[in-house]
Amino acid sequence: MSCFRPWNSRSGYPHLPIAAVRIEIRKKEQAAGFEAEPGEQLLYAGLRAGVPLPYECATGTCGTCKGRLREGDIDHGWEDAPGRARLKPARGEFLMCQATAGSECRIDIPGRLQGFRDDDITPAHHVVTLHGWEEPCRDIRGFHAEFPVPVRFHAGQYFVLEAPGLSGYRAYSMVNYASETTRLEFVIKRLHGGGFSEWAFDQNRSIEGVRVFGPLGRATFHPDESRELFLVCGGSGIAGLLSILEHAHASGHLQQHRATLFFGVRTTRDLFFVDRLRALRDRHPENLSVTIVLSDEEETAVAGHRAGQELDWATGLVHEVAISALSEADGPVDDLMVYLAGPPPMVDGAIRALIIDAGIPPGSIRYDKFS
Amino acid sequence: MTWKAVCATADVAEDSVRLYEVDGIEILIANVGDGFRAYPPMCPHMEEPLDDSAICKNGVMTCTKHLWQWDMKTGETQGPAEKPLLMYEVQLEGEQVMVYLDQELEYDFDDDDDD
Repeated sequence: MSCFRPWNSRSGYPHLPIAAVRIEIRKKEQAAGFEAEPGEQLLYAGLRAGVPLPYECATGTCGTCKGRLREGDIDHGWEDAPGRARLKPARGEFLMCQATAGSECRIDIPGRLQGFRDDDITPAHHVVTLHGWEEPCRDIRGFHAEFPVPVRFHAGQYFVLEAPGLSGYRAYSMVNYASETTRLEFVIKRLHGGGFSEWAFDQNRSIEGVRVFGPLGRATFHPDESRELFLVCGGSGIAGLLSILEHAHASGHLQQHRATLFFGVRTTRDLFFVDRLRALRDRHPENLSVTIVLSDEEETAVAGHRAGQELDWATGLVHEVAISALSEADGPVDDLMVYLAGPPPMVDGAIRALIIDAGIPPGSIRYDKFS
Repeated sequence: MTWKAVCATADVAEDSVRLYEVDGIEILIANVGDGFRAYPPMCPHMEEPLDDSAICKNGVMTCTKHLWQWDMKTGETQGPAEKPLLMYEVQLEGEQVMVYLDQELEYDFDDDDDD
């Protein structure tokens, strides 16, 4: 029998764990077990044990990490998590990225336990120092996370970060790339009412003791796949795609393959990373094209701004501009790998247009929806 | 239960799907050009509501949540999809799309991965 009741306080709870608790995931043909620390999100506990649990945002918004509690007691965590909207609590459904275990648990998950690639990097918990705060343009904040040990990640991946004093992790893609590094670079868009975002815009000093978990995410770039790259992003979504371009540059991929980036922001005042993009483009003038797409700017204003910038410019919605360019190019799409990053309406719109208008097979589209 | 009238043939455009409710059961009706099909309203992967998430082109339906795809005529999987669509029996009576509702079809998470 499953005992399924939410509990918010550990005090007075009869099965209060004092050590790690054993979690069992079961499918018909598959089974996996791992241990969760008290207070540790079950998704993170499973992933760091190498169990390929399903997830996308890992922060309560998407609902992909749905599990069904068959035995044991859990705390659901964040009550208003958007990803809980379509869960069926009567059937024991819960979000593994939010829930913590109160006892040994047995959990069923939909879909199969399946890794992405053989070289998947097992995520882990870290405590880091945040520093290097800067504001490259209005409503955008950049910073670095300094790790006590070198970490590895794939270009395009993200970490989840928890601001001191705030409960709950938020997902941010790395901007930089290195095969192994103690310093990750992030960028955040100001989100009014967003806990971590509001907090980040108030920081100017080094902040120690920030808890992070990662790397996470499947929208990754791998030079051995030998694909042409088609990259579409809006706003701070540029982070993961810049990481991909930096890896594509450093690995020599851009000497053999084309890459096409469409970077959408509202106006010229919302632009950042233009110098870095131009520097990359200048190193690969034949194979890399960068188009800045402004959604709230008149053509005339764009014309004034583009002088001397030597990048391509367009006005409109970035996914519409990008995919109509792709459809018009009329070249073979078999060699293409498409990466999408940005606000969910942009990603959703891009997916529809890619499949319907451009005929891109779903296996050639990568994105991690989180916001 | 028995044959139920769900909608008119003109109500669902060719190569598209539309959600209906009959006797409290939600049914997704698809116009596949030379006929109609009826599926449960959810994606068999993670129960995403297909009336919102599905896009249809050339007889192939794609759930935009995780890009599972199916042949709309047969319900068979394409690409990365792991489970086929369940289908109700459909027949036309004049301009009416009729669906045989014996019992509600539901995907069972506890019984998947049979490959």
